[in-house]
Amino acid sequence: MTQPDNRPFAIRTYAPDQLREALKRMYLIRRFEEGAEDSYMRGLIHGTMHLSIGQEASAMASCMELTDDDKITSTHRGHGHCIAKGAEVGRMFAEFFGKETGYCHGRGGSMHIADVKTGNLGANGIVGGGLPIAVGAALSAKRLGKSDVTICFFGDGANNEGAFHEALNMASVWKLPVVFICENNGYGMSTSIARSTSVKHIADRAVAYSMPGVTVDGNDFSAVAEAVHHAVARARAGEGPSLVENLTYRWRGHSKSDRNRYRTKEEIEEWMTRDPIARFRAELIAHGVLDEASADAIEAAAIADMEAGIEFAKASPAPSISDVTRYVYAEN
Amino acid sequence: MPVEVILPKVDMDMTHGTLAVWHVAPGDQVAKGAALFDIETDKAAMEVESPASGRLHAVTAKPGDKVAVGTVVALIYTEGESVAEVPAPPVAEVPSSGPQPIEVILPKVDMDMSHGTLAAWHVAEGGSVTKGTALFDIETDKAAMEVEAPATGTLHHLMAAPGDKVPVGDVVAHIYPPGMAVGPRPARAAIATPAELPPTPSDPAPMPAPMMAAKSIAHSGIDGNVRATPAARASARQAGLTLAEVKGTGPMGRIQSDDVTMHLEGQSGEICGSTPVGPAIWSPQPGPLHVSHRMGAGIPLVLLHGFTADSQSWAPFEKALGPDQPLIRIDLPGHGRSPRRRLRSFADLARMLVEAFDEATRTHDRVHLLGHSLGGALALAIADIRARNVASLTLIAPAGLGPEIDGASLLGITRASRAESLAPWLRRLTATPEGISDDYARAAMKQRNDPALRATQADMAEILFPDGVQPFDLRPALARVECPTALIWGRKDHILPYRHSLAAGGDFAIHLLSDAGHVPQIECPDRVARIVERHQSGALAGKR
Amino acid sequence: MNAMTDKPSSQPQNLRTLSYSEAIREAMAIAMEADPTVILMGEDIGVYGGAFQVTLDLVDRFGTDRVMDTPISELGGAGVAVGAALTGLKPIFEFQFSDFAMLAMEQIVNQAAKLRYMLGGEASVPVVFRLPAGSGTGAAAQHSQSIEAWFGHVPGLKVLQPATPEDAKGMLLAALADPDPVMIFEHKLLYKMKGHVPEGSYLTPVGKALVRREGTDVTIVAGSIMLHRALEAAEQLTKDGINAEVIDLRCIRPIDHETILASVRKTGKLMVVYEGVKAFGVGAEISAMVAESDAFDFLDAPILRLGAADAPVPYNPDLERASVPQVDSIEAAARRLTRREV
Repeated sequence: MTQPDNRPFAIRTYAPDQLREALKRMYLIRRFEEGAEDSYMRGLIHGTMHLSIGQEASAMASCMELTDDDKITSTHRGHGHCIAKGAEVGRMFAEFFGKETGYCHGRGGSMHIADVKTGNLGANGIVGGGLPIAVGAALSAKRLGKSDVTICFFGDGANNEGAFHEALNMASVWKLPVVFICENNGYGMSTSIARSTSVKHIADRAVAYSMPGVTVDGNDFSAVAEAVHHAVARARAGEGPSLVENLTYRWRGHSKSDRNRYRTKEEIEEWMTRDPIARFRAELIAHGVLDEASADAIEAAAIADMEAGIEFAKASPAPSISDVTRYVYAEN
Repeated sequence: MPVEVILPKVDMDMTHGTLAVWHVAPGDQVAKGAALFDIETDKAAMEVESPASGRLHAVTAKPGDKVAVGTVVALIYTEGESVAEVPAPPVAEVPSSGPQPIEVILPKVDMDMSHGTLAAWHVAEGGSVTKGTALFDIETDKAAMEVEAPATGTLHHLMAAPGDKVPVGDVVAHIYPPGMAVGPRPARAAIATPAELPPTPSDPAPMPAPMMAAKSIAHSGIDGNVRATPAARASARQAGLTLAEVKGTGPMGRIQSDDVTMHLEGQSGEICGSTPVGPAIWSPQPGPLHVSHRMGAGIPLVLLHGFTADSQSWAPFEKALGPDQPLIRIDLPGHGRSPRRRLRSFADLARMLVEAFDEATRTHDRVHLLGHSLGGALALAIADIRARNVASLTLIAPAGLGPEIDGASLLGITRASRAESLAPWLRRLTATPEGISDDYARAAMKQRNDPALRATQADMAEILFPDGVQPFDLRPALARVECPTALIWGRKDHILPYRHSLAAGGDFAIHLLSDAGHVPQIECPDRVARIVERHQSGALAGKR
Repeated sequence: MNAMTDKPSSQPQNLRTLSYSEAIREAMAIAMEADPTVILMGEDIGVYGGAFQVTLDLVDRFGTDRVMDTPISELGGAGVAVGAALTGLKPIFEFQFSDFAMLAMEQIVNQAAKLRYMLGGEASVPVVFRLPAGSGTGAAAQHSQSIEAWFGHVPGLKVLQPATPEDAKGMLLAALADPDPVMIFEHKLLYKMKGHVPEGSYLTPVGKALVRREGTDVTIVAGSIMLHRALEAAEQLTKDGINAEVIDLRCIRPIDHETILASVRKTGKLMVVYEGVKAFGVGAEISAMVAESDAFDFLDAPILRLGAADAPVPYNPDLERASVPQVDSIEAAARRLTRREV
């Protein structure tokens, strides 16, 4: 009789290299967003942005088992998803800076950041906009006989959109390989879940569409990874969709114009003590995947990547004004 | 390395912010995340947190400074770090090197104002001013306005003289607060005088030379108010023509492109001398005048059409009259289906008509007689000779009651060889040009396609109306006529003036129709038919 | 294999005729045979054959995997089609009535139309939306609209309006060959109309209008069923010697400027006839386009628009008929225009 493995799911499931890479990407998300915020404050970034600082575990752990052929649809708070799925921060910064070298050639910006080559079908400025699209991507995989899955990120706000209900229903009716991941950060802009949503947990909605629904601590990398692992396996096996709800929190405001009037400093500080990156790092160290020095090195590498990315973006050319209607239609 | 404290962008469309207050004094300790300073934007005030823990140094922005987003306003040194020299102040808009005089600017006082003219200074150079008192006057397109002094002190460095046109926001003087030493006059570009002002975007762009040429020919100022289609304007422009000269035949007198064409053709005619009526390319034809009948019950009505018309032109009137009364229609020689005949005079023509009348009414004791225009004159002539056979006489806009006639229209109609050239003349027949549509003109032209017919009629016009005059006078006949007689005339007849009816002697009824022209039987057939009906029945009743 | 046809087929030996709906069905079948990524989606398009029987029997030939009945979920369904198009399928999504597209505006306008641009050309959404449109069926205000002009306002979409069975087939095949989202507005009253339809695959060029009747006196631009009404009116007008030129608009976005401008330069008079509400419609776009162009100087009369009454489509048949342009109203308007009455 073998000893039961009581280590956290992620530790016992993924190779150390994978775990170290996951930590690196979580740092990269954090540093990227801090860098973006700093650049925004310096007036280098036009428009607004929605930062996911504090939600890095949800993005990264959800993408652990995805290949470039697997798809994700993302949200307006989508920088983390983009990096977790494998995007380069240089081209992301370039996009934020509105440069021709950006992922969207300066046409999309933060809210439409995408990287189709790594399977990221794009952040979406419409709450709930990505849900039916994710189901369509899953339909493609099924019709084309591929084993690809689609992960559909959406926020708690989207669970009250009609598109959410229509999409979950169709995914279930057609048994499509899609995993709906709700990043429940407690607020749709300023309106809390309690004030907007009739069910206690958004995962409770899954029952209505005959699919598994689980709620996990979204700041616990391993918990998210485990829930998504089962959902992805179910999808790849052709058994249909699942709903995973990651409870998390955004440290920053909804967007850059948020004055934080709907929540208290205490609440924010309380959540900051549950920093998903610090927890994951501690867990990796505790289980001997890395030591403090190598963790610091990983963080330093993320910072270096971020700084190099900003330099790349600054040095990149802007799109030509005469190309304002380019990319509206396919070019012949 | 110290950590830079920047003025952050806190709002989507923010480019500058005003530093409101520092919460930490230079040299003091501050913790990361603690309130460091407040900024104010157009929309809101906001607390900015310290980006690091350490001591605050090198503060370069003071409360009230408007600072560009991203500008470093201070540095935070961590423990043990040596404090470097204060960097050169990078504050964006207000140089902080010592106190500065207050700028007096030319303010925007009107929504769409880009410049203002400085009208007068109320205070001379070196004079003292009190904040809120009148400093200078400006004039804009719309109004004059007094501008108050923004501060108390002494006025210096007047940079605009009365009459100068100054862009909004430009500094026109400095006010030095009491006690401040007056600095050197700032070097600045001279304020543009009106003559030197660069063109503002609202100035019209220079026009390409060809357009200018065309425009000056076309007297644009006048043409602008003329109702004309773009196509008419374009052709007038090309021809160097003033639209005001052109008569419009469209709705409300709108000039359409063919009006311009007509005008140009008319003009070329005048220039080249009047086009002679084509040589008589017709030869007389044998046979009687054409008579057509409509069967019915009661006393027939004989219809005589006018010059250049034919019996078919009675169709609307016939319809209005109802289907019962028998009709006898006679086509004049050289008209409709009658043979072409040479004639020497009106009397000659009247004789031909009496002959045809006799033949056509052989089986009837009496008939009602109705004639229009030339046909009216002929009907009167017939009634004069065949008094016993005419139960009633109705004359619509008859010829022969005065010398005036619109000879140009007669000539124009007989000459026209295309619908386009026919239409404008036809439009003179009705009270307003709208009475005749292009389709009507086209249909009419189809009837006139035979050049021989046109030549015959042109010759007739020459004989009957030489020099645009009616040489024959039927007023004595009208005075003599015995049968009940009615005249129907449109008050807007442009061909034969209805006043002829008022001037003529004799006993007859006159029906003057408002809003009708020369062809009331076509313009308002119902009204004419009712008059004719009443006249006929009245005539018969009188007889009884 | 895909012959381009820019003219109505000149009288060939093979005068095979099909109805408009048969032509659309044939196009779908040809495309599905040739390309396994083409799928059909929509409400009741399977065994029911679609509300207008356009997809009749296709489920028997291609199976329920490729002829998918969706739930009554226009927003979700359209979005699934968009997502599928984004990832390798070529869905033809049928709205039961074009009116129901309003439930899916989000996915059509915010997603399908903009994805390529938002993603800087890195994504393609080759989805085809089929939309049965138009009045005349007594279905009243929510099932009779002509909203094609709404989509004319959206960069990224292509908006087609076939008037003949030949075009209905050629346009659907062209839409499927197009890498961008295409909306095809099919007129419900045309589904039974028969006409010559060439065999095999051919593409009707997108963005090309077609002069269906040459004339000299007035240009009448009309699409879909209005084309047929305009052609009939044009025949009536010949009795008065009025020779109207009738242009089949065929495509609302992109609009064929040059064909219209060339005609206006010739006739000097323009009428635009369309079934959508007159205000802010296809007529406004075409009128303004002409007024902004060099053809302005050729206008010899005001431009006339004939569109639907400023009201929802009414139920009463006489009201319904009166609410949209008919042969007699087109004829009367053309007469007024050519007779200098406007």
